[in-house]
Amino acid sequence: MAIEKLDLLVLKALALAPLHGYGVGQRIEQMSGGVFRITLGALYPALQRLERSGLVKGSWSVSENNRRARYYALTAAGRRRLTTQQKAWERTAAAMLRVLHGEGH
Amino acid sequence: MGRALWRRLRELLNPRQLDRDSIDEMTHHVEMVVARKLGEGLDDLEARRQARLEVGSVESAREHVAEERTGFALDQRMRELAYAVRVLRRSPGLTLLSIATMAVGIGVSGILFALVNGIVLQPLPYPEPEQLVRIFDVNRQSGIERTGAASGNVAAWRQRAAAFEGIAGYYSMGRTVSLADGAEAVITAQVSRDFFDLLRVPPMLGRTFTPEETERADFNSAAAPTGPDPVVILSHGFWVGRFGADPNAIGQTVMLERRPFKVVGVMPAGFTAPERGVALWIPWHLSIESPRDQHYLGAIARVAPGISLAQASEQLGAVAGDLGGLYPDTNAGWGVELSPLAVETVGGAAAVLWVLLAAVGLVLLVACANVALLTLMRGLDRQDEVAVRIALGASSRRLIREFLLESVVLSLAGGALGAVITIAGLRWLPAITTDLPRMNEVALDVRSVLFIAAVTILTALLSGLPQAWRRTRITAITGLTSATLRTTGGRGTHRLRDAIVIAQVALAVILMAGSGLLVRSFLELRSTAPGFDPRGVLVAPIFLDNLQYNSGEKTRTYYRTLFERLAAIPGVTSVGGATTVPTSPLGPDFERPVWPCERASDGAARLQAAVRMITPGYIETLGLQLVEGRAIDTRDSPKAPPVLMISRTLAASLWPGQSAVGKQLVVDYSTAGTYPYEVVGVIGDLRFRGPRSEPLSEIYLPHAQRSYLILNVVVKAGGDPRRLIPSVREAMRTVDAQVPAQGMYALEDLLGATYARDRQAMLTLLMFAGAAILLAVLSIYGVLSQRVRERSREIAVRIALGADTSAVIGWVARSGLRLIAAGVAAGLAIAWVASGALEAMLFGVTPTDPPTVIAVVIGVTVIGLIAILAPSWRATRIDPVEILRR
Repeated sequence: MAIEKLDLLVLKALALAPLHGYGVGQRIEQMSGGVFRITLGALYPALQRLERSGLVKGSWSVSENNRRARYYALTAAGRRRLTTQQKAWERTAAAMLRVLHGEGH
Repeated sequence: MGRALWRRLRELLNPRQLDRDSIDEMTHHVEMVVARKLGEGLDDLEARRQARLEVGSVESAREHVAEERTGFALDQRMRELAYAVRVLRRSPGLTLLSIATMAVGIGVSGILFALVNGIVLQPLPYPEPEQLVRIFDVNRQSGIERTGAASGNVAAWRQRAAAFEGIAGYYSMGRTVSLADGAEAVITAQVSRDFFDLLRVPPMLGRTFTPEETERADFNSAAAPTGPDPVVILSHGFWVGRFGADPNAIGQTVMLERRPFKVVGVMPAGFTAPERGVALWIPWHLSIESPRDQHYLGAIARVAPGISLAQASEQLGAVAGDLGGLYPDTNAGWGVELSPLAVETVGGAAAVLWVLLAAVGLVLLVACANVALLTLMRGLDRQDEVAVRIALGASSRRLIREFLLESVVLSLAGGALGAVITIAGLRWLPAITTDLPRMNEVALDVRSVLFIAAVTILTALLSGLPQAWRRTRITAITGLTSATLRTTGGRGTHRLRDAIVIAQVALAVILMAGSGLLVRSFLELRSTAPGFDPRGVLVAPIFLDNLQYNSGEKTRTYYRTLFERLAAIPGVTSVGGATTVPTSPLGPDFERPVWPCERASDGAARLQAAVRMITPGYIETLGLQLVEGRAIDTRDSPKAPPVLMISRTLAASLWPGQSAVGKQLVVDYSTAGTYPYEVVGVIGDLRFRGPRSEPLSEIYLPHAQRSYLILNVVVKAGGDPRRLIPSVREAMRTVDAQVPAQGMYALEDLLGATYARDRQAMLTLLMFAGAAILLAVLSIYGVLSQRVRERSREIAVRIALGADTSAVIGWVARSGLRLIAAGVAAGLAIAWVASGALEAMLFGVTPTDPPTVIAVVIGVTVIGLIAILAPSWRATRIDPVEILRR
């Protein structure tokens, strides 16, 4: 569950444009309003997992500080997965909220 | 999809590249965080600290990334394995040495275990082997321990003792088989009823003997099979060799002693009971009327189910007692002794094998200790690296696993090679060992394979544990501090290291003490005068058949003619013959009752004496000592009055304090006549069965007066007697080509063969001791070298403060000598306690032989000093200026 959530965050972070690892971390932190801070030990295994599953595609390029860096981009499969996962998550989150706020009884 | 697969393949095939990439990526990530922090105005150090707090360390993240990888568990093991291999490859010399040490240790233990397993542990290859016993005749009143059974007795036991399912007698001897192109001597066993039944081994082809066939197989004497329509059973080897494994061999004939024997059965491969090399079995009828006073049969029996050995012994003892009452002339005083067949089959080999297995176990321990030390020392050299890795967050469990893996890799390599050594050794061993029983049953079975596997695992643990134990005590703090101070190790490691070296020296000392005792014992065996002079003597056993040589005259003529031809061979100085020659396994060896003529009515004066028939020239050829009187010569013809010579032991028992020459001695030759012989000479004592055997009561009859078909012909010449073999063979062929030439031996070799096992045990143990001391010395050298390296600053300070060369050498040497002294003391103490295990193998030496102890102490110290020298010398070469500047 936790892993799936992180995967979804990474896919979402990459939805706009390809990013390197640091960029992904920054983007998630930024999008979550500083709530989610991702450590190396969580982020890079996730990127590796997504790349192996063919959801993202990594390629070496040069970063803004003129250094070799690996940029990740969503693949078509990644985009599809983002859509389905996002919908599933939204359903789940809405349900969770309803449960927690005591609505709908 | 193709990309994903590609990625997966890369993960499998090139994890190292991926690892580097992800480190690079993550380092970039950290750099970016640090750059941001710097932009917020923090100084460099604080920026890095905060970055670390925020995103964690690359080192630990790297492990997470690696863990995530496909087949994580396997992958991680592989990585650690690869790491271990890489570490080992950093010092290929030491690694190969360690692997070789382990391989030899494991391999040789494997061989010895297979031997112990096949020879000692495995039950005999018969159904319910624990019921099988051997039976011996004993006569404690006459001081006769364990001699052969008498044929009449075996028949009587069989009738009277209900505690047995079967009792059988056998006698094996060389006999002549005629072939198309000459003749061959083979070992035949004549066996009584029950023999095959009680062993419960069915024939491979045909059948075993019927009671009728046994019944009609009468023998006038052991040497002369008679009776109508004789039958024979073939061994598997004979069937393959002489019948070309013909499935229709049953019903065909074998010309044995120039008489046709009909084949009724073929035994399965591997079955050669009652002794190794039996080619043919012929039936033998034993009846209660058979002689009860000729003790030369082997007897085996199967105890009935549910009856203990003690009960069976008791019952058979009672039967023997009854027989003594019934036939006082022959059986008074005679009892029986039962012993498990397994024990009798294996004999003294069991003790030797156990000792050698224990010894190789000790060598293996020394080898483990060596590898443990090497790993430990490699670990110390890598302490900086380890400390840094700990500081960077590598888990200590992982480090321990890595270090254990090193020794596992070493042991596995050693175990695999060791298994190869075991297999090769077992294949090669039968060619070099002749004196081990049941060698054909020794094989690499499941138990031996499990043993090798267990030893390998044990080796891995023993050699890896000290290192792993050390690792649990390393923390980043101690590691880094000591790394900066450059005094590696610490007290714990030193003590551990020293303890390992001391243990090694102690183990080596135990092995040296053991092999020292065996060397002393062997020298003692070799220097014990056997009472005959084997130098230059060739022994040629000759078996005449009783069809052609059916009279004493023909036999005598054959041998007389042969001796003339042999004496004519250039270089031959003397020729003779005897039915049985010292240390020769071939020829009839039996005893007859004898008593002084003047004490015919005195039962206590009856003694059993071993009988030999000898020709003129025998005494000189063998260099026997003539104590008194004269030797048998040509005067003692068939028509001359009967004479004999006796051994000094017999003379001393019959006529203590008197001259035996001229006395009349009655020899009870049963059906062949009981009458007095004049004693013409006394022969000096000889150890007939080798240096371990005691001098016997013996009588020597002139072959001319009691001719015998079997004769061991002895020929003496200068130099190596084996070069005479072709000439002897040729001489035999010219006299009668149908008399087969047998294997001929140098008497010196035959004498040597009586202590061949001592020799082999000694050489093996010496080899083990040598290996152990070599390994121990390597350790002393290694430990002292490292100590000098570690203490180089301290030594440098001392030198700078004015210590001279001798003081430095003294410091190193003292610490080395302390290790040796402790090891020697511990080793001697253990050896002293354990030496009893060797007692059965020793001859003329006590287990606590002082010269051996002294030699071991001096030997170990001298060898140890050599190991101490190099590091001591290196210590004096330390340049204080250079070291202290570092």
